[in-house]
Amino acid sequence: MDYSQKFCDLFFQALRIRLVEERIIELYPSDGIQSPVHLSIGQEAVAVGVCRDLRKTDLVFCTYRSHAFYLAKGGSLAEMFAELYGKITGCARGKAGSMHLAAPDVGMMGASAVVASTIPHAVGAALAAKRLGHDQVVVGVFGDGATEEGVYHESLNFAVLHRLPVVFLCENNGLAVHSPQKARQGYDILDHARAYGLPVYHIAEGYDLVKVADTMSDIIQRVRSTREPVFVEIRTYRYKEHVGPGEDFVSGYRSKEEWLDWKQQDPLEQQVALIKTIRPAILKEIDEAIYFAMSSPFPPVEELLRDVV
Amino acid sequence: MSCNSAVASFVNGQAVPGLRAEAGTEVMSYRDALHWTMRDALQRHDSVVIMGQGVDDHKGIFGSTTGLAKEFGTDRVMDTPLAEEGMTGVAIGAALNGLYPIQTHIRADFSLLAMNQIINLAAKYKYMFGGRFDVPMLIRLIVGRSWGQGAQHSQSLQSLFAHIPGLQVVMPSSSQTILDTYPAVIDRYRGPVISLEHRLMYDLEFYVYPISIKQEIDPFGSRLVRQGEAITIVATSIMVLEALRAAEHLARLADIQCEVIDLHCVSGPDWDLVMRSVEKTGRLVVADTSWREYGVCAEVCRIVAERNPGCLKTPVVTLGMQPAPCPTAKCLEDLFYPDLRQLVDVLATAVTGKQGHGVPLPDTQSMADVYKRFKGPF
Ligand SMILES: Cc1ncc(C[n+]2csc(CCOP(=O)(O)OP(=O)(O)O)c2C)c(N)n1
Ligand SMILES: [Mg+2]
Repeated sequence: MDYSQKFCDLFFQALRIRLVEERIIELYPSDGIQSPVHLSIGQEAVAVGVCRDLRKTDLVFCTYRSHAFYLAKGGSLAEMFAELYGKITGCARGKAGSMHLAAPDVGMMGASAVVASTIPHAVGAALAAKRLGHDQVVVGVFGDGATEEGVYHESLNFAVLHRLPVVFLCENNGLAVHSPQKARQGYDILDHARAYGLPVYHIAEGYDLVKVADTMSDIIQRVRSTREPVFVEIRTYRYKEHVGPGEDFVSGYRSKEEWLDWKQQDPLEQQVALIKTIRPAILKEIDEAIYFAMSSPFPPVEELLRDVV
Repeated sequence: MSCNSAVASFVNGQAVPGLRAEAGTEVMSYRDALHWTMRDALQRHDSVVIMGQGVDDHKGIFGSTTGLAKEFGTDRVMDTPLAEEGMTGVAIGAALNGLYPIQTHIRADFSLLAMNQIINLAAKYKYMFGGRFDVPMLIRLIVGRSWGQGAQHSQSLQSLFAHIPGLQVVMPSSSQTILDTYPAVIDRYRGPVISLEHRLMYDLEFYVYPISIKQEIDPFGSRLVRQGEAITIVATSIMVLEALRAAEHLARLADIQCEVIDLHCVSGPDWDLVMRSVEKTGRLVVADTSWREYGVCAEVCRIVAERNPGCLKTPVVTLGMQPAPCPTAKCLEDLFYPDLRQLVDVLATAVTGKQGHGVPLPDTQSMADVYKRFKGPF
């Protein structure tokens, strides 16, 4: 096994996200987190690999399933827990919950609970970067289901037409809620994207931290220098139910074997010894973040009508 | 510049603060005011981009952007694909990363395809992320009327937008209100603004203050455009002009003095101004460009009912479009929209308290006849 510094760094980031979400699962029954959670467990390598070579000034636009991207892009863990707990110290002063995490200071530009709706934002931000002469790279993150929405098509067209420095990043977990891709799509995602005339990439091993990071590193460098859009599809696997802390293999819409196969490849499942050495430090950080969240005040009444216009 | 006589009758010689005839010695059309503000914005702010279908063509959004692509380049005055939702999302993303987008829809009806981005995203970005983002942008919607615009080219959708917290919604009723509103909004306001412009006013000429006179006017304020004691008319957009015509008619023929308020910012009108007026006159007519149900008419009534229903000496009367999609046959369309005659009639009835009030009514003339310059087709 590759225990290079690069692998260890990526592994640390990914494990941190996994442990954060596992802690959310533990805390969920206590009802302190009153927000629907769409967990990224199983998908961490995508966020970690994509964000590794992004700068703080590069921008990422996300979906409701974005704990992983928020953390990988450098969002504060304490502010994330405070947000989940609805506290004034949360990253959005207790107005976002789990589905709208943001950290503009590190380029995490927010997350929307309306499928596909932030894809054009990434394109627009890239338009601004081009017009204002910034060397930013902008990433629009979305699921396989989002490619079925019209606005995805509109966004691809505009980005190619104006040659904008944006990465269309499709996090393909093969599911939209409980519907498999083949029940929803009469097209092939890659072929369809290719038809717009932009370079397309496919990473089948969405669990492979180094592979995702290396491929993304090349792609981001390419976009930074060419200032042109690219499309990337990364295959991944969602371990938990669509929304909520549980598992749902008994419900019959997908097989448990698939999951077990995926876990065989997942370093966060396999690298037991490595986990043992780094886990305590991460748990300590999580404990501190939760302490911060729990001991923070709830928003005062003035917050209700603040920041409306 | 030449003046259409029907139009001149209400801009000429009237002390109308909204039109500011007292100091407004220059004449400028609504279209030219729009063009002036668009050019001014591009000139003064590198961050401004105008994006919309056909903004760079020879028609230039009914003349409001003509020539600007040539002057400022097509990367700043940008024709867009036919993708209303996508382009609104692009504008939001651009606004989040340092640009000030001005978007155009040649008919307000087309913005319905962008509702997801406007309502779910633009209106929410600031609040939903705890004030960490601003989405400064202006969306210009043009409301069509007459010459067979029909059901899908004529809707006046202000109440849909004004219903949503997070959006500022304005309805400029004159050249001066455009000059007062657009530069101020673009310079100083950091959120999304929806402006409903009225197609029939594009050709109208108004007195305006010389551009060189800079005045600090609240771009989201309401305007008292005529003072009177007998009755209050609260109006929006082109209905402000109808209200002024009616007021002039009643003053001339029946010595009835109407007070006219241009609501202007329908998302957050100056309700104190409205209440002061209604408390003074005790009578209220609301004249809006859209349907009355759940709209501006209903909202004005809500405010009066909540704040001081006892100040009313007579029931409120509301005027708006008939509760149907807009028909195209002119005889039906004339019935669909409220006209001057109807407005004078309800005002006289409310003031005199009698159906047979005896005040002579003006000839029935449709708005299209009055504003003769609009000859269609679009
Ligand atoms: C416009 C819209 N339609 C439907 C939904 C309900 N919904 C929430 S998540 C989801 C599935 C999206 O699938 P995908 O894009 O693959 O993302 P994933 O959840 O798999 O990460 C759906 C249909 C929604 N939130 N927004
Ligand atoms: Mg999916």
